[in-house]
Amino acid sequence: MHMANELLSVPVATGAMAVAGTGLGWICKKVRQELTSEKVALMGVLGAFVFAAQMVNFQLPMMPGTSGHLIGAVFLAVMLVGPHLAAVVLSSVVIIQCLLFQDGGLLAIGCNIVNIAIVPSYVGYFVYRTIVSERKNKVRLFIAAIVACVFAAEAGSALVVVEAIISKVLLVPVGTFLATMAGVHLLVGVMEGLITVAILSYLTAVRPDLIEGMTGEGMFSRKTAILSLVVITVITAAGFSLLASSKPDGLEWSYLERPEQPDFKPLIANDDPRIKSADELHSKIALMPDYTTRGASEEHPVSAGWTSLAGIVGSMVCMGLIWLSAKLLGPTKTAA
Amino acid sequence: MHHAYLDKYADGDSFFHHLDSRVKFLAAVVYTILVLSLPRDHPAVVVCYAVAPFAVLVWAGIPLWFVLRRILMVSPFVLVLALSCPLYDKTPYPVVFGKISFWLTGGWLRCFTILAKFVVTMLTLFALVGTTRFADLLAGLQWMRFPDVLVMQLGFLYRYLFVLVDQVHHILLARSARKFHPLGFRREMKIAAAMTGSLFIRSIETSQRIHIAMQSRGFTGTFHSLRHTRIVLRDIIFLLGFLAVCVLLHGWVRHIFM
Amino acid sequence: MNFAVEIQNFSYSWPDGTKALRQINLTIEHGQKVVLVGPNGAGKSTLLLAMGGFVRGTGKILIDGIEVCPANVKKIRMLLGCCMENPDDQLFMPTLYEDVAFGPLNMGLGAEEVKRRVEDSLRKVGLEAMAHKTPHHLSAGQKRAAAVATVLSMSPKIITFDEPDGGLDPRNRNNLVRLLRELSQTLIIATCDMRFAAAVADRAVVMDNSCIVADGPVAEIFYNGELMASHGLETP
Repeated sequence: MHMANELLSVPVATGAMAVAGTGLGWICKKVRQELTSEKVALMGVLGAFVFAAQMVNFQLPMMPGTSGHLIGAVFLAVMLVGPHLAAVVLSSVVIIQCLLFQDGGLLAIGCNIVNIAIVPSYVGYFVYRTIVSERKNKVRLFIAAIVACVFAAEAGSALVVVEAIISKVLLVPVGTFLATMAGVHLLVGVMEGLITVAILSYLTAVRPDLIEGMTGEGMFSRKTAILSLVVITVITAAGFSLLASSKPDGLEWSYLERPEQPDFKPLIANDDPRIKSADELHSKIALMPDYTTRGASEEHPVSAGWTSLAGIVGSMVCMGLIWLSAKLLGPTKTAA
Repeated sequence: MHHAYLDKYADGDSFFHHLDSRVKFLAAVVYTILVLSLPRDHPAVVVCYAVAPFAVLVWAGIPLWFVLRRILMVSPFVLVLALSCPLYDKTPYPVVFGKISFWLTGGWLRCFTILAKFVVTMLTLFALVGTTRFADLLAGLQWMRFPDVLVMQLGFLYRYLFVLVDQVHHILLARSARKFHPLGFRREMKIAAAMTGSLFIRSIETSQRIHIAMQSRGFTGTFHSLRHTRIVLRDIIFLLGFLAVCVLLHGWVRHIFM
Repeated sequence: MNFAVEIQNFSYSWPDGTKALRQINLTIEHGQKVVLVGPNGAGKSTLLLAMGGFVRGTGKILIDGIEVCPANVKKIRMLLGCCMENPDDQLFMPTLYEDVAFGPLNMGLGAEEVKRRVEDSLRKVGLEAMAHKTPHHLSAGQKRAAAVATVLSMSPKIITFDEPDGGLDPRNRNNLVRLLRELSQTLIIATCDMRFAAAVADRAVVMDNSCIVADGPVAEIFYNGELMASHGLETP
């Protein structure tokens, strides 16, 4: 579920960074107010636990060779430390995954933090809080855990689709992409829910005192949770309808040519020489010429095969020379 | 566990290892942005951008086989999605080599471009983390005004990651010593849950002891920081070189192929 | 002149009711090196926690004349340092340098002073070269020494050790013995290893079943075969 850099466009990646940064900044500020060494130690070790727990795998039914494992958002957020601390812990997990394990690109960190740490923690928490009642009914708890896991997984995966579609790097149509991701993550969510429930039953049997202190109540009232869910649903529905809409956005619609209305005189025709020179200038000086405001796709006939080949070969030769130079200069001292 | 990770190369002694972590971080981010902003269906240009991080890796003494193997390990998701492109864009583009010409679809060009960008940005990431000690990277992040809480959290996670992963290795070993064949979904799940549950309990207990250790050394809720790194001549030289490379690539090389 | 540690009728029970410490009375003078020996579960670790103010029971504990209570916690922490059983719990920063600096920084000392203390402590335990390593790169013996350094940098008057020789091979154990003997602070060391105890300390306090059953010079106590056997211990 980790986004790679290359599936994003620069504006989307930086936009997501900004969102993640502000979100995390706000959450950290909140966390800071009630920080104790106990919480600091707990968060740190839990982060490591999330990694370690991912290594505990088991055979999935009907799919020999694949295995399931715990992802952690709901378990943490809901069961233990509440959504704020869970978001911080999972953000740190995402960052470490990028920096230490190169899982997820540098620029995709913003997206990954939003998709994996922030949104699932809160969505999972709100769903859980909505279902669970004040009386500690075990069955309800378990059902809540599973449902919350599913929603958290779906929310995260939906965001991946949105970010990829807006970036326009991939060509998969929205419908197919969404359906595939949603389908896969339904399974993922259910699995994670089942594992969470299994772990909870183990803990209830072995260390009931730990469970007593958990179940994250008191963080948000049930009303707040339900309200938040409603707001999130409304925003999501609106967002998706916009995305799925095949109408060009309002501004473009006003001045582009409309083939279906032959009498419409566009303000500026698409093949106006001024547009062409503006585009040329833009692509020459812009750092990010990729992101053109007019929806024309790049027209690069790859007819000059030699140039491309020259580029590739030239780069290889450079790299070869560099490698040779390193060999000649002698081995660099890398500490053991 | 500690042997398989990039950590050990970060302790090296090259020019790049001694650069300030903030400078390297900035360079990595800027370079990644440049690569990502290249056109979506021009793989050849992207390959040219591979030279710079490749050079850093080689001159810093980081083994390439290690880097390539790790890139391979994290590629599945991107690979699958990149390979979806040829399915959706079948516009043919001619590729001409004098007399010989063949056709490539736009989808394949996109696919190759995505993959090329992936490799180059990965090389850049490796160039960054392979030459920078994690603690120094953290100090750089702190200087960039990352929230205290997050920096402390990253430090702790890093510190205890290896401890817990070692524990998991032992637990998994114990399981494989006593379980010889799959036992059916329910039992497998129960066993995995018990293993994870006991790992969890140990984690909580560890965190409680750490909390005592922190208290006994006077922790009261504020994080104090030690680090004050300075930008020296070496960093300026690197920055100038980096700038030159960027101008060369983005201002000149890029236009040759477009 | 205050005693380093003065415990008066201290008792403590765990939350579930089991008695952990019963009517403990103990005085330790400045500069003494005392070992706490006893079978597993005798209450040695709990007594050390109590001295550090981490558990609150009935009775009084005075560290250098200051009573251990919530109001005095800050002063107690600066006077008494704790070396825990598992160095991994004590080395929680990404690098050794930061771990050793953690205490002095929390004490509010300036950057120069902190630097000096860190370098001094690391030199004392022989780990100056490892300052920028992550703890998981250290060997068991080095981790143990590092844990001591993290406490030394706070310049406490008293240091407690909970089974410091655990998991050490003979060479590392001897290094630890040498280090402990060189320290000028008052040391209170809980251990099950009689040989180690005899090498490090002059005075022995035997605990069994949550109380102190014997207290005297090492030579007397440890070579009293009957006493040792009756409490599940052995002579060195």
